Amino acid sequence: MSFLQPLLSGILTGGVYALAGIGMSLVFGVMNISNFAHGDLMMLGMYLAYFAFTLLHIDPYLSLVLIIPTAFLFGYVLEKLFINRVINHPHQNQILLTIGLGLIMSNTALLAFTSDPKILTTSYSSSAFNLPGGISISVPLLLSFLITCVIIAILYIFLSKTTTGMALRATSQNREAAQLMGINVAKMSAIAFGLGTALAATAGALIAPTYYIHPLAGHSFLLKAFTICVLGGLGSVVGAGVGGIIIGVVEAMSSTYLSSDWKDVVVFVLFLAVLLFRPQGLFGKMGGQS
Amino acid sequence: MKQITLVTILAAAAIALPLVIGENPYITGILISVLMMAALSSAWNILGGYAGQYSFGHAAYFGAGAYTTMILLTNYSTLNPLICIAVGIIVASIIALITGSIVFRLRGHYFGLASIAVAEIVRLSVLNFDFTGGAQGILLSDVSLWGLDLNSKNPFYYGMLLVLVVTLGITAYLRTSKTGYYLQAIREDQDAASSLGINLSFYKNKSLLISAALTSVLGSLYGLYIRFIDTSAVLDLRLSIEIILTAIIGGVGTLWGPVVGAFLLVPLAEMLRSNLLGDALIKAGLVSETSALGIFLKENLAHAHVLVYGIITVLCILYLPKGILGLFRRAK
Repeated sequence: MSFLQPLLSGILTGGVYALAGIGMSLVFGVMNISNFAHGDLMMLGMYLAYFAFTLLHIDPYLSLVLIIPTAFLFGYVLEKLFINRVINHPHQNQILLTIGLGLIMSNTALLAFTSDPKILTTSYSSSAFNLPGGISISVPLLLSFLITCVIIAILYIFLSKTTTGMALRATSQNREAAQLMGINVAKMSAIAFGLGTALAATAGALIAPTYYIHPLAGHSFLLKAFTICVLGGLGSVVGAGVGGIIIGVVEAMSSTYLSSDWKDVVVFVLFLAVLLFRPQGLFGKMGGQS
Repeated sequence: MKQITLVTILAAAAIALPLVIGENPYITGILISVLMMAALSSAWNILGGYAGQYSFGHAAYFGAGAYTTMILLTNYSTLNPLICIAVGIIVASIIALITGSIVFRLRGHYFGLASIAVAEIVRLSVLNFDFTGGAQGILLSDVSLWGLDLNSKNPFYYGMLLVLVVTLGITAYLRTSKTGYYLQAIREDQDAASSLGINLSFYKNKSLLISAALTSVLGSLYGLYIRFIDTSAVLDLRLSIEIILTAIIGGVGTLWGPVVGAFLLVPLAEMLRSNLLGDALIKAGLVSETSALGIFLKENLAHAHVLVYGIITVLCILYLPKGILGLFRRAK
C-alpha cells in the first residue's frame, strides 16, 4: 500500500482530533482543570448529530448550526453548577468531579439510548474521491476536515481580535493579573468551558458519520484528547491543532504498518515519551516536570 | 488501649461471621466483595492517602496479580497457588517500578494522566496478546490447595480478611513510623520535604511498591475465587476509579476510611445490581409496579449502579471532600 494513503487519511482524521484537543486545551489554559468528561461531551455531540439526522432529517454537517449553540449552553451551565465550585480545589478533586460527571453522562445515555451501537448513514457516507496513484479520499472525512479548518479559523480570529477572546487569553496567561485588570474571570471560565464543550460536541458530530455511535464511545477519545493536549503543550491552542494532526497520522501509520489493535498502545507510549522528554509539549509554556 | 479492644472485638467478629451466617453463598459473596474492596482501597490509600500520589491506574496491579496467577495455573495445573501469588507480586512490582520511574517525575495533572496511560497500555497489551486469552479472558477449571475445599467461599473470605488485616496493619505502622512521616511530608509539600533532605523518589516508589504488591495479591485471590477473568473485569479504568471512590467516601488518608467506604458502596452496588432497591420501592407501595416508572425501575435499575457511582462521586467531591470520617473529625 502506498505511503501517502495512511498519511492523507491520518491528516484528515487528525483534523477532527485536533478540534477535540483544542477544546480540552482551552479549558485547561483558562481554568487549569483537566476535563475528564471531555470524551463524554464528544459522545453527546455524536448523539445530537444522530438524532438531528434521524428525527429532524437534518444533514449531520448542517446540524452543527444547532449543536454548537446547544453544547455551548450546556457547557456554560455545567461550569456554573459544578466545575466552578472546585476551581481552587486540589487537582485530584477536579479530576474526580469531572470523572463523576462523565460517568453520569455516559450511563444516562446508556439507559436512554441502550448499548446498541447506532450508525449514521448519509447518502455520501461511503463515497470517495479517487486520486491518481490508487489513493482514495473518503468524502465524509474530507468534509469533516474542511469544516474543522473553518471552525479553527473562526476560533483563531475570535481569540485574537475580539475583546472576549483577548480576555480569555489574558485569563489563561495569568488569572490573578487578569482579575486585577478588571476581567471577570468567573465569566471567562464559564465561557471557556462552554467553548470547550461546543468544540467537543462538534468533533463528536463530525466523526458521527464515520464511526459507531455508542454511549461509551467517549472513553477512547478522552485519552486521545489528553495525548493531543500534552503533545501540543497543555493550554496551547495552536499546539493542540498540530498535536491532533500528529496523532491522526501516527494512528493511521501504526494501523497500516503494525496492526490496528496496537494503534492505541502506540499513541499512549508516545504520550508517556512526551511527558518524559518534553513535558512542556511542542508549543507549551508550562511543564509538568518537578 | 481503647483502640486495641475495638480492633480485637472487630477481628473476632469478622472471624466468627461465616460460622454465624452458616452456608449462605449469597451473603458470603457480598462479604468477600466488601473485604476485597476495603483491602484494595486501603492499599491504594497507602500511596494516595498518605503519600498524596493519586494513582488512577491501580487496576494494572490488580490485573497483574490476577493474570499471572491464572496464566500460571492454566499452564501448570499442579502448581501451588501460593507460588502463583508470589510470582504475581513480582510481576506487579516490576510494573510498579517501571511506572514509578516514569510518573513520579511528574506532578499534578500530569501524574494522574500518566498513571492512566500506563494502566491503559497494560490493558491493551493483555487484550492484544494471545497468551493472555485476549478478549475472551481466561477460564480456570480446578484449583486445589492443601486439600481445602476451594469450591466453597469461606477460604476466600478468610483470605481477603487476612490481606485486609495485613494492609491495615502496614498502614497503622506507617502512620507513626519514619517512612510514614516522610510520606505525609511529601503529601503536604514536596518541595519543603525535599529541602529537608527527604529522598522523594525513594519514598514515593517505596509506597507504590507496597501498595502494588498488596493489590496484586488481591488480584490473584480474585482470580482463584471467580476462576474467570477478562480485561473488563480486572484491568478496566472503572475498577481504578471504584478503588479511589471507596477511599474518598470513607475518608482519604485515614486508617478506617477505605473500610467504611467499602461497607457502604459495595452493598449499595449489589442492591442496585440485584434490583433489591427497585423491588423495595415497589413493595413499599411508593411506586406502582404497573406504572411507567415502576416498569422502568424494574428493567433498568440493575444497569444503573455505575450511574449511581457517578452521582455519589459528584456529591461527595462537592459536599464531603474529606469523606465520612472527615465529617466526624470536624465535629470533634
